[in-house]
This record gives sequence, C-alpha cells and structure tokens, in this order.
Amino acid sequence: MKKKMVSFVLSVAMVSAMLAGCGSTTSSGSAASDTTAASGSAAASTAAADASAATSTAASTTDFTGEDPQLSKDLKILSIWAEDNDNGVLINDICKAYQEVNPNFTYEYEVVSADDLKQKIATLVASDDLPDMFAYESGAPIVDLIEADKIVDIGAELDKIGDSAYVTDSATSLLQTLSGTDSIYDLPLGMNVEGFWYNKALFEQAGITETPATWDDFEADLKKLSDAGIQPLACGAGDKWGATRLINAYTVRTLGPDAMSNAADGTTKYTDEGYVAAAQKIQDWNNEGYFGQGVTTVDMNTAGSMLMSGKAAIFYNGSWFTSNLNDTTANLAGEDGIGFFNIPVADESISAADSYSMNCGNILCLSKSKYDDATTWFLKYFVEHMGDEAMSKQGSIKGYTYTADTSSVSGYTKLVLDEIDKAKSAFTWYEATMNSEVSTVTQDNVQTLINGDMTAEEYMQSIQDASDNSAQ
Amino acid sequence: MKNVLGNKKAIALFVIPGLVVYSCIVMLPVIWSFYYSFFSGSPGLKWEFCGLDNFKRLFTDNNFKDALVVNVKYIAVVMLGQVGLGLAMALMFKFWLKKGKNIIRTLVFFPVVLPTVAVGQLFSKIYEIQPNYGLLNSLLSALGLTNLVQPWIGQSKTALWCLCAMDIWTAIGFYAVIFYGAILDIPDDVIEAARIDGCGGFKLFRYIMAPLLHSITIVCLVFSFSGTVKMFESSMALTNGGPGNATRSLSMYMYLTSFSYNKVGYGSVIALFIFFLCIIGSSIIKIFDRTESYY
Repeated sequence: MKKKMVSFVLSVAMVSAMLAGCGSTTSSGSAASDTTAASGSAAASTAAADASAATSTAASTTDFTGEDPQLSKDLKILSIWAEDNDNGVLINDICKAYQEVNPNFTYEYEVVSADDLKQKIATLVASDDLPDMFAYESGAPIVDLIEADKIVDIGAELDKIGDSAYVTDSATSLLQTLSGTDSIYDLPLGMNVEGFWYNKALFEQAGITETPATWDDFEADLKKLSDAGIQPLACGAGDKWGATRLINAYTVRTLGPDAMSNAADGTTKYTDEGYVAAAQKIQDWNNEGYFGQGVTTVDMNTAGSMLMSGKAAIFYNGSWFTSNLNDTTANLAGEDGIGFFNIPVADESISAADSYSMNCGNILCLSKSKYDDATTWFLKYFVEHMGDEAMSKQGSIKGYTYTADTSSVSGYTKLVLDEIDKAKSAFTWYEATMNSEVSTVTQDNVQTLINGDMTAEEYMQSIQDASDNSAQ
Repeated sequence: MKNVLGNKKAIALFVIPGLVVYSCIVMLPVIWSFYYSFFSGSPGLKWEFCGLDNFKRLFTDNNFKDALVVNVKYIAVVMLGQVGLGLAMALMFKFWLKKGKNIIRTLVFFPVVLPTVAVGQLFSKIYEIQPNYGLLNSLLSALGLTNLVQPWIGQSKTALWCLCAMDIWTAIGFYAVIFYGAILDIPDDVIEAARIDGCGGFKLFRYIMAPLLHSITIVCLVFSFSGTVKMFESSMALTNGGPGNATRSLSMYMYLTSFSYNKVGYGSVIALFIFFLCIIGSSIIKIFDRTESYY
C-alpha cells in the first residue's frame, strides 16, 4: 500500500513537473513581465514607436520619383540561373549596382533546378513562405498564383511609380495575353522570337535560292531537300516541346493567332478539323522521313548540333539559339552559315507574315506578402536598368527599353534584333494557354503521334479529354 | 530472462519506443496521405474538401490504368530477370568458372555501384539512332541486320523492354553475389553425395540446390519487388517516362499529379494505391514461402 502511495505521489509530482515544464515559457514570461513591468513597457513602447516610425516612413513614401530613401531591406531571390550564368549574371549585377544606391539593401540569391521550380514554389505557397522575388513560368502556371492573390500586380505598381514605359509594349502585351489579365503580374526576362533556322550551304546544295514565304513553298522546299538526299528537318522531339512547336506553327498559320486560346476557353474544341490537320502534318512529315530516324530520341541540343554540323537543313527554335550559334567550337557552319526565317504563312488574312511566335522566357514574380516600399524602390531600379544591362553585357533583349549601343553585337544577335524589329504582332506557343495537366498530356503524346502509335484524331482527343478532366 | 519476457509490461517497455518511432515515420505519413486524399488542389492553392471524388476518379482514369499496366509488366520482367539471372550467374561462378573468378565477379557487380543517371546516359547512347548509330544499332548494322535497326527507346513497343534490360543489367551483380554467398554455404559433401547418387546438371539444381536456396530466393524476390514497385529514377533517366506514357510508372504518375498538376489530393490516392500494391505483392511472395515450407 505504502509503495502504491509513494508511486502515486511520484507520478503526480512528475506529471505536474512536466506540465510546469511545458508551461514554463508562458509563466516565466509573465513573471518577467511582472518584475520588469516598467522596463518591459518602455521597451514595448520603443518597439511600437519604431514600428510606427517604420510604418509612417513606409506610408510617407508614396512619391517614388525622387531620390532613393535607402530603406533597409534583405531581399530573398529564388532563381533558376546560377550567379555566373545567363539571367543570373544580370540579376546579381543589378542587385550589386543597387547596393551602391542603397547601402541598406542586402540580398540572398538561391538557385534551384528549373525542373524543380514549380514543385518548390508549390511547397512555399503551401507554407505561405514565398521569397520576395522568384523565377516562375509565364502562361497558365502563373494564373493560379494570381487567383490565389499571392503575387504583386506589377503593372499597377509600375503605374504608381511612373515606370510603366520601361517595360516594352510588346512584352507587356505578351505577358497580359499569357496571364489573361489586363495588368502584368510578372517581370519579363527575355524577348524571344521563334522560327526556322536553316543551313545556308544545304539550301544551296538543294538548289533553294530564297527562304520560303508561304507554307506551300516551305513544303516544296522540304521535298527538294529530301530529294537531294538531305535530311530536311532536325527536331528535338525527345524534349517534346520541339515537336509541339511545329504543330503550333501550322495551327496558328491556318486558324489564326487565337486558335489555342479559343480551344483552351472552350470556344472551339481541340478535336476540330483544323487542329487535327496540324497534328496530321507533323505525322506526315515523319512518314515522309523528313525528321530522319528515331526523332523521338533526339533532344533539342542534338537537333541544334545536327543543323550546325550540316546533318539537317532546318531546325525550329527560339532566338536564344544564338548562344549556340555564337559558340565557334559548336557552330561548324561558321559566322554566316546559318540563317533565319519566320514561320511561313498559309493565308495572309488569317495570320500575317509580320506576326511572330514570341515568348518572354521565364519570368520574375514578387511575393505579395513580402512586398513593401523598399521592394518598390528596388523594382524601380530593376526596370529602369535591366534593358541597358542586358544589352551591354549580353547583347540580348529582355523586354525592357534600352539606350545601349547595338552596333558591336555579333552577326547572329544582330539577325535576331532585326527580326524582333520586324515583328508587328505576336502569338504564343502551343502549351501557353494550357494548365500543367493538359500541357503534359500534349507533350507526352506528341511522341506517340509522331511515331504513328496514335492517329492525329486520337492525339487531339487525348488533349481534349485532359482539358475536360482537369476542369473537373 | 524468462521472467522479464513473461511480463507483458516489460515487453511493452521494449516495444513501445520502436513502435512510436515506426508510427511517426511510417504510419503517420500514410494517415496524413489518407487525410489529404479527401481534398482537391494543392495546400495553399485551391485546397478544398472534395469527399470521395479522388477515389472515384482513380477508377475512370486511363492514365492511371496505363501506369499500372506498365508498372506490373516492369515488376514481372525485371524481378524474374534480376533474380533468375542473378541465380544463374551465381551458379556459373560456382560450377563453371575456373579462372579469373574474382575479376569476373567484380565486373558483374560493378554496375550496382554506378549512379542511375550515369547508367541511363550510358544506355541511351547504346540505344541511340540519331545523329549516329549507338552500339546496338551499329552491331545490328554490321551484322547485316539493317531491318532490325530501330529507335529502341523512341517507340512504345520496345521502350519498356529496353528499360527492363537496363535495370536487369544494373542489379544482376547484386543478386549474383547474394546467391553466391548462399551457394558457398551449401556443404560440398551434400553436392558430392547427390552426384554419386546420379544427380547431374538440372536434377542437381532442382532437387538439391533449389530447396537449399529457397529462403534466400524469397529474400531476393522481396528485395527485387520492393525495388521494382517504386520504379522511378531509371525510367526518368533513360526515357523520362516516354515515348508518350510507355514507360511511365505509378510513382512517376503520382509525382506528376501531385507536383506538376498541383493535385496533391489525387496524388495521395495514387500513393495509397502503391502502398497497398506493396502489401499485396509482399503477401503473394510470402504465400510461396509458406507453400514451400510444407515440403
């Protein structure tokens, strides 16, 4: 009995000690607040004063036209480009330059793989911990973030600070089209045109004297090349999007620039005749042998190498391909061996010759929960300097106005700049208006379409089914 | 000791810490997954209660069925290949190889330590057709079998089998080493006695070796099953699930659904299905174990 009593008392003591331990933070906190009530309240009032001062500072800076007020800020950036690569260089340079303007500005630059980006952002959204600035994908993926009210309406902010003009009209229009909004919610990091790159020597060898302007001419040239024993097309169908771009080219030229958005919003069906005809086209080309053997195993890099080494005559890709063309060790065709032509038109009244397939590459978003006046000042500096920075450092256009001199850029970069100048209107890529699920089905099944394991009707039906299912 | 293990409280004291840890790292995520399966969307983005919709969808989803078929075919072929050829290799080490045993064993085991991505790259070069023929197509071409030259991993009818071949090649050394260790444990006099009794070749294997290797075979089958049911990285490295969805497994589909389509709830249902598939598969292997034990 005694033993039981002792064990009972010990148990009670342990449980109460445990409870006391659990509640220690609160109780010690309250004791501390009792004993140091005066100093505590003083500290609290100081903190409150600081906070209100900070708030008032923030509230007072409604005018963003004057000198930078040097607000304190630690900006967290989530990127997919290494610090010494591509856009990573530009973002870091801009941040470093801004530190000279605002010594109270610091930044943390984190890089994740482009493949993991969407997953990483989804996790951060779930934990409500999006970084101040992060790379993301334009088009349908960004719409979810806009609808969830997670990202800043950058268009409205640029209007507020009077810097809207620094983002080019074409970039603004493209970003608005991609997100389906009247404002822009992202910052462009590229202004690319897409089209057909061709090997001039192989064209000459096949007796083709000028680039095709119409779709009929284009198909006639493919036949000429094939008859001359030259592989007409290199296509990175292993990377899937290389193939869907070709379907997009024919779809837009025969159905108009709104074809894909119409199908996405249900105005038309992916299974309508025109869409099926475009899918049939790419299958027919493979049946004719225009892509060579095993096109679904060829990735975009290999396809690009095939063009530059003279193993294939034509290759569809964007203006970012100039980085490969400018690499003299990779480009065996030489400084003037590769040319560019826009997607040939099928009917000028449906889609004009000066209409180009364009995209803004990956984009940058700003987290709404972290956005403050200090970020607005940084945003102001970013849009005002990005255009010149990109042109002077890399000879590239990022969707911002620039004043830097373009006379010293390489031949291929100049070629792209000229093409961008020619563009009067733009249309987007095949998956731009699709959500992830429809986009994945579209890309995965394009390989089975090319191989002939799926008919064009079945392919378009699979896209329509995915679209219907994802809406559920 | 008998007193301690006879006391239920003492047993509980030993078992509970392990049980708590196991529950936290195994059972809790499963329960969590089950909870998630009643929601649509992704946490933070359109996360709404949807009742049993995700479970209903599982039965009408053709992509899920395709992934299940791919996974089952892969498990059947790779499991048989890895364990069967591993056993054959071990028997070869024991009975046929007279010289260079160590070097050959090392060479056979070598692929096991290679990273999956490297193996994927290696085999994509072997199966290559454009811009240049890979090893396989070059061999076929050199032998005059040009009609067999084809995009091995670029067409649905051959891609899965090419992937199976790669994974069998990778793991064969692992199972060979395990079986070889078990074969060495069989006393020589048993084998010798069997030979004197007239057992040779197949009979020796069927009536002497196979029963003695029975338990290690079950272990190898369980290893191989648990390795193949989660088919992911090798397929990702060699074909990225393609062409189309010819090599897309359940795990890959679950990953896509959860993290690319932002449908974590439906992804959780697929994850639960994989969990039950593991239980069913292991139970089937256990049935073989029990059946054989009656002998």
